[in-house]
Amino acid sequence: MMDAFRESSTILFNSHVQDWKTNGGSIVGYTCSYVPDEIFSAAGILPYRLRGIGAKEMNIGDAYFGPFICSLPKCLLQLAGEGKYDFLDGVIVTPGCDSMRRLDDCWRKAGEDRAETLPSFFFHYAVPHKTADYSLKWFIEETQRLKAAVEKHFNITITDEQIHEAIDIYNEGRLLLSCLDALRCATDVAISGADALAVVLASTTIPRKIFNSLLTELIAQIETGTEKITGRKRLMLVGSANDDVELVRLIEGDKAVVVADNLCFGARFYADLVEKDGEPVAALAKRYLFHNDCPRMFGDYKGRLKILKEKIERAAVDGVILQNIRFCDLHGSENGIFERDLEAAGIPCLRIEREYGPLVETGRIRMRIDAFLERLET
Amino acid sequence: MRKELQEYPFDWMLWRTFVAAARMKAGSEKEYRQAVNQLPYFRGVLDAIYGIGEPGKLFIEMVAEYLEKIIHAKDRGQKTAITTFCFSPAIFYALDIVPITLELVTVAMSATYKRGTADFLDYCNEVGFTETSCSSQRGTLGAYLAGNGVTIDMVVADSPGVCDTNVNAFAFASAYLDKPFFQLNMPPDLTEARSTEYHRADYRALITFLEEQTGRKLDTGKLRCILEEVGRQDLLMAELEELQILVPNPLPVTFNLLIYAGRFLFAGMPQCTKLLESMLAIGRENAARNQSGLSSGKESLRGFFCYIDHYGQDLRLWQLLDRMEISYHGNILSKMWSRDAHYVKALDRQEEAYTIDTTDLDTLIDSIADLNSRMPMIKSIRGPYDAPHMWLSDTLALAKLHKADFIVYNGTPGCRNTWGMVKPFARDTEKNGFPTLILYSDAFDLRVESWETTASRIEEFLKVRRLRS
Repeated sequence: MMDAFRESSTILFNSHVQDWKTNGGSIVGYTCSYVPDEIFSAAGILPYRLRGIGAKEMNIGDAYFGPFICSLPKCLLQLAGEGKYDFLDGVIVTPGCDSMRRLDDCWRKAGEDRAETLPSFFFHYAVPHKTADYSLKWFIEETQRLKAAVEKHFNITITDEQIHEAIDIYNEGRLLLSCLDALRCATDVAISGADALAVVLASTTIPRKIFNSLLTELIAQIETGTEKITGRKRLMLVGSANDDVELVRLIEGDKAVVVADNLCFGARFYADLVEKDGEPVAALAKRYLFHNDCPRMFGDYKGRLKILKEKIERAAVDGVILQNIRFCDLHGSENGIFERDLEAAGIPCLRIEREYGPLVETGRIRMRIDAFLERLET
Repeated sequence: MRKELQEYPFDWMLWRTFVAAARMKAGSEKEYRQAVNQLPYFRGVLDAIYGIGEPGKLFIEMVAEYLEKIIHAKDRGQKTAITTFCFSPAIFYALDIVPITLELVTVAMSATYKRGTADFLDYCNEVGFTETSCSSQRGTLGAYLAGNGVTIDMVVADSPGVCDTNVNAFAFASAYLDKPFFQLNMPPDLTEARSTEYHRADYRALITFLEEQTGRKLDTGKLRCILEEVGRQDLLMAELEELQILVPNPLPVTFNLLIYAGRFLFAGMPQCTKLLESMLAIGRENAARNQSGLSSGKESLRGFFCYIDHYGQDLRLWQLLDRMEISYHGNILSKMWSRDAHYVKALDRQEEAYTIDTTDLDTLIDSIADLNSRMPMIKSIRGPYDAPHMWLSDTLALAKLHKADFIVYNGTPGCRNTWGMVKPFARDTEKNGFPTLILYSDAFDLRVESWETTASRIEEFLKVRRLRS
């Protein structure tokens, strides 16, 4: 059962994406959890969350980005430059953070140098950094602008009914993922953190209807299964974007299990439903702007700390891993205050700074995790 | 942090340093020389600033006064707000709040102290703030996080949508110190109607926040006076800017620093106006004599800095330029984009400029919201760098207007935004005929790259590009 999820979580052009493409479907990639999948799904387009996995060099990324930049957007550009994203019909870049925002500029410039690098549909989606009423108004207009651009480029009309239908499908997926989340929190965990991440990652590439049925099946298997993961320390993973199953596998080893997270390729991605009543674009804007946020929404530290504490309690977490990609100052700095406040509340924490991409730092991270687990033993 | 640094509040120490500096010229030249000899690590600053005559004296007094206001805010029953250089302090003065602009204080310490702000930079990291964050805020923030300065009442920033590492420092400070926080959030576009509407709605929310924090209502009369003063400053800056374009440039090399520092310290206040008037008198005099403002009186090259300057100890960047007979033609910091600005008129770019309308409270608030949304950095690096009204078009237009021979990018490794696209940016400026140097130094932390290395890279660039033999 897990094989379908594992394949989709580790291969960019996985079998589901290949099938979609073979059947003449369009695919639009995006960089951040603030982009509403439902708009694309309603348009019959496969929304696809971009990832930098598999980048083995950085010569293209480094040609456009400066040296003091997070390696995630560099990997994305590298893959685009190498043609690994040639299956995309469009790309949406958001100002998730400054490094990711500048992917817009660098990718366009790479397209000037090699035209086929740049998909024909390329859109900057301006997500506000706050949740005031005028910010929501802006974001509704921005989402309408996105919808209109998709309609124009792909020569289609997206009706309210289609968006409502997409909302239902995606809400169903969110509920299923939340159900999986609850199973991870249980005393006897039946799924590893690495496999749980694979499921979430798969949800960002597999057509959502298919994903929902696969996940329904997996949940049933877990609920009726007898195999449990016991005798391990229960960890929570927090911080920068992580789409690398191997990193979680490394953290878990044979002594720990990641039972909870608050990551954008994780709980933040599926938390909170879209309201079904009312004008659908406004409902989408509301959900995506107000959903479980990340430090790009400046000034909401207390809200995020509250969410962490609730999760830590619900999942009976023994310790928290606070990780950030180097040059990710937003998560890196917030992790510093999380560490102060969680430790003060008696919750052991470990801060790790890492590079995105192949696990070149395996030894260092493994050693620090082991030391942390020893601390939890005492 | 070294123990001795905790003996006295850092802001008090800095204030006393500038008070002493402001008195240095009270005696004879001989007394000044004798005193300067006792200050090996501050003499460069004093010589560079006092060397330009009255504006230098006014500027040092102004910095001392700015720091004095911080030190005595509580005695006067005033609230304090830590804020950023790209936020106009005019609204704080209108509401009788004392602004503490982190970057300005960092510059004052970087230029003045032998060790710069190293201890405070590092202290930030000790308490969890990332070492990769921008040094311009960290340099001062560390002292406040350590409780080594005056009490902070609130935190106000306006760089969300513009500069992550800037606003993140303020968000961190707010969370760490548990102080109220307000952010002005900038859309990626500058001139669309919905962006203007957003700027103005956001600014009204800011005023509500400041009124709540102070328990005071915004005084229309006071705001009007301050914005009228801003308007006068805009006209003075426009004339200075116009003089700067002349060949040779009649303004001394440090004038640009004084223009923007004056505006960041005291926008809408008479102190800044007086400084600008004093600079203008010298500029006019030099222009009338067709004389360069450089010490040698000879202008060999004209340099445009497209981002910020280098504030390492003793203001050595300006000393280097002066010695190499390179006239200085501004950077991103000195452009406020008033409709009265010379470059706005010369380039016919009124659409992206602000005007000050003092008709009533609504127009005053709209004006200050528009002004704030055009502040340096806030205007030009919010959207794609090559979009209309943004960094590339501003840089190319200004470099051409100033007849610059070359462009220099200098910032900090913490600037995620510009490092995200400075390579293609420089490629574009080169394509447009401007030799462009990207410096990898840190404008506020000499430990990243020594000044000697930075200076040799500038010299090497000029030599390799055959701009200077």
